[in-house]
Amino acid sequence: MGKYLLKRMISSVLTLLVILTVVFVLLRQMPIEGYFDNFDKLDNSMIAARLTQLGLDQPLHKQLLSFFGGLLHGDLGTSSRYSVGAPISGIIAQKAPISIILGLLSMGVALVLGIPLGAAMARSQSGFWDRFGTAFIVFVNAVPAAVYYIYLQTLGSTALRVSMLFSREDLRTWILPVFSMSLGNIAYYAMWLRRYMVDENNKDYVKLARAKGVNESKITMRHVFRNAFVPMIQYIPTSLMYTVCGSIYIESLYSIPGMGGLLVDVISRQDNPMVQAIVMIYSCIGIVGLILGDLLMVLVDPRISLHGKGDAR
Amino acid sequence: MGMFSKWKSAPVEARMSDSLRERMQAAAKAPFTFAQYHPGEGEMIGYSDYSYWGSTFRAFLKNRVALTLFCVLLALLLFTFIQPTLPGQYPANLIINHPITQIQMSNIAPSLTTVKTRVEAGTELIVTPYEDERWSAVSNVLASLKAREQFTVLEYGDFYCYVEINGQRGYVKNDFTTKLKLPEDYTQTPYTARSNFPIKLYSSPADCTNNGDALFVETRYLDMDGDHAVTNAACALRILPSTAPFLFGTNNLGQDLWAMVWSGTRTSLFIGFIVAVIEAFTGIVVGVLWGYVRRLDRLLTAVYNVVDNVPTTIVLVLISYIMRPGVGTLIFAMCLTGWVGMARFIRNQIVIIRDRDYNLASRCLGTSTLCIITRNLLPYLVSVITLRMALAIPGAIGSEVFITYIGLGLPVSTPSLGNLINTGRKLISTSQSYQLVFPTIVLSIITISFYLIGNAFADAADPKNHV
Repeated sequence: MGKYLLKRMISSVLTLLVILTVVFVLLRQMPIEGYFDNFDKLDNSMIAARLTQLGLDQPLHKQLLSFFGGLLHGDLGTSSRYSVGAPISGIIAQKAPISIILGLLSMGVALVLGIPLGAAMARSQSGFWDRFGTAFIVFVNAVPAAVYYIYLQTLGSTALRVSMLFSREDLRTWILPVFSMSLGNIAYYAMWLRRYMVDENNKDYVKLARAKGVNESKITMRHVFRNAFVPMIQYIPTSLMYTVCGSIYIESLYSIPGMGGLLVDVISRQDNPMVQAIVMIYSCIGIVGLILGDLLMVLVDPRISLHGKGDAR
Repeated sequence: MGMFSKWKSAPVEARMSDSLRERMQAAAKAPFTFAQYHPGEGEMIGYSDYSYWGSTFRAFLKNRVALTLFCVLLALLLFTFIQPTLPGQYPANLIINHPITQIQMSNIAPSLTTVKTRVEAGTELIVTPYEDERWSAVSNVLASLKAREQFTVLEYGDFYCYVEINGQRGYVKNDFTTKLKLPEDYTQTPYTARSNFPIKLYSSPADCTNNGDALFVETRYLDMDGDHAVTNAACALRILPSTAPFLFGTNNLGQDLWAMVWSGTRTSLFIGFIVAVIEAFTGIVVGVLWGYVRRLDRLLTAVYNVVDNVPTTIVLVLISYIMRPGVGTLIFAMCLTGWVGMARFIRNQIVIIRDRDYNLASRCLGTSTLCIITRNLLPYLVSVITLRMALAIPGAIGSEVFITYIGLGLPVSTPSLGNLINTGRKLISTSQSYQLVFPTIVLSIITISFYLIGNAFADAADPKNHV
C-alpha cells in the first residue's frame, strides 16, 4: 500500500511538473501588455526595464527555473493590474476558502440528490422517476451550462425572493449558486449509478437473493446499491473538475469573491501573472482529484488491492 | 440402319428432353436472368443478406423521437443556409436606421409584421418629405407642444381631448404619458389646460407615429394635396418602408435578431462540425496507433495522463487568452483536448479486439496492417465514433458560449450563438428578454437534437441491437 502510494505520488508530481512547464511555456506567448498597469503611457526603454525587472528577457529555461524556485517558497509572483504589486499568493489565499467551501458543498449536494435519483431511476425502470431522470440528464448534458445557469439565477432568485448576488452573511443567497454548481454532478452521478445498478440487478447473486425471497428493498440497499456504489468513487476526480469549471461561471455570475470569479476578472483586465497563477492552480486540481479517487476506492472496497495493478493490458 | 441414320441426322433439339429444350429457348430470348434471393434456400448454404448499414438505419428509423428530431434538425440546418437567400431578409450585422431621422431602430419587440397601425379610408395624414416612389412617410402630428405650454380644451375625451392652440385645432393624448393638468370639473369645456411634458397635437384621435417618428404607407393609397394627404382605402402604416418584419425583434443597436440568430447558428454549427471532424480524425489516428503499435503505448499513455488531467475549460481559457480571438482560435483550443477521449476509447477497444482469433487469422493470411485496421477493427467502433462526433457538436457550441461569457470569445462583429446569448444575458429581467430567449431556444433545439440523435444512432449502430 505504502509502496503503491509512493509510486503514485512520484508519477503525480512528474505529471504536475510537465503540466506546469507546458503551461508556463505557453503563457510566455501572452501579449506583454498584461505585465503593465499603464502600458500605453510607457516608452520602449521603460518597457524594456520593466521586462528586465520581471526577468522576462532571460532565456526560457532560466525563467522556468526561477519560477519553480519561487513556487517552492510559495511565491507566485505579484499582480500587475488587478491589484498592482500585491503578492498573488496573498490574494489567492484570501479568495480560495470561499471557493473550496462552495465546491465541497455543491459536491455534497450532488451526492445527496444524485445518488437517490439514480437509485430511484434504476428501481422504476421506464416508470416516472426513470423518465424524469432521463429528461433531466439529457437537458443538463445537452444544453450548455451557461444558458441554464442564467435562467436559474433569474427565475430562482425571483421564486426564492432573494438577491441575485451572493452575500456571505445571507445564507439564502447560497442556495442558488450551490444548487447550480451541483446540477452537472447530479446528472452525472444519477446516470452512472443507474447504469451500474441495472447491470448489478441482472447478476446471478441478485437473482438468487430474489429467488430466496429476500424482500426487494433489502436487495436494493444491501446488495445492488452497495456494489454499484464502489465504481462511482472513480468519478470523484471528474466531478471535481466539473465543479471547478462550474465555479468559474457561477462565481462571476453571482459575484462570489472566489477563485473562479477572480479568473474571469483578471482575464478581462489582462493581468498576466495572475492568469498564470490561477490557471496553474486549476490545472493541478485534476491530479489531486485523481489521487483522492484512488485512495477512496481502496478504503471503500476491500477487494481492490493496488499492488498488482500495473499496466492496463 | 435406315432408322439409325435417321436418328443420327435429326437436329440436336430433337434429341433433348423437353425441359432442357424449354430452357434453351428461354435462354435464346434473354441470355441472363436475375437470381432471386430466397431466405430459406439462403439459410441452407449459410448466406444471409444482413447488411450492417441497412440494419443500422432500420434500427434508427424505429426510434420515433430520434427520427422526429433528426427531421427537425435537418430542416433547421437547411434553413440556416437558405435563410440569407430568402426574399425580405435583413443582412446580419446591418444596423437598421429610420430612413428619415437616421435614428437606430433599436429594441423593437418581435413581431410578424412591420405594421404599426391601420387606418380607414378618408383619414387625413401629414406627409413628411421622403425620397421614394413607392412609399410615403406620413404622420398625423400637426404640431409639437412644449412642456407646460397652455392650450384650450374644446371637447373632453377619456383617451384624446380635442383642443385648440394658436388657432390650430387637433387632438392631444389624455393618459398617464401626458398627465394633463385639468380643472376639477373637467367635462365643463372649454377651459385652459397644460401638460408637464412635451406632447403632440394630432390631426385625428389616434397616434399614427412610431414613438414620434413618421410611419410609412404605400403611395398608391394616398391622395396627395401638398403636405396633406387623404387615404383612399383602408391601409397599413408601417414602421419602415418595407414589409419585411423583425421576427425576433431588434437589439439595442438596431440589428435584426432574426438574421443575427441564423448567422450565429451558422457560425456555431461551423465551429461544431469542424471540431467534430478534427477530433474524430485525430482521435482515430492516435487511438489506432496507440492501441496497435506497442512501442508507442508508454509514450502516448504518458501524454494522455498529462493532457487528461488538465481541465478542458482551463485549456480553452489559456489558448483563447494567448491567441487572438476568432473562429480559428476557438477551433484550435477545442481540438487541442477534444481528441483525447476519443483516442483513449479507440485504444481500449483496439487492445481488446486486436488479438481476437479473426484478426490473428487475418494476419496469418497476410492481410496488411492498414487493411486489418480499416476493415476489421474500425467498423467495430462506428457506433462509438458517431456518438462522440455527435456529442462534440453540442460540446463545441457550449464551449463557445462559455468562452464568450468570460470575455475571450468571438468579436461582436461575428455573430454567434455565444455572442447573442452573452448580450441577451444582461437583458433577462427587462422587457427585452426576447433577445436572450430566441437564441437560447435555437441553441437548445440544436444541442438537444444532436445529443439525442447521437445516442439513438450509437444504439442503432451497435451490432448487438441488430438482432
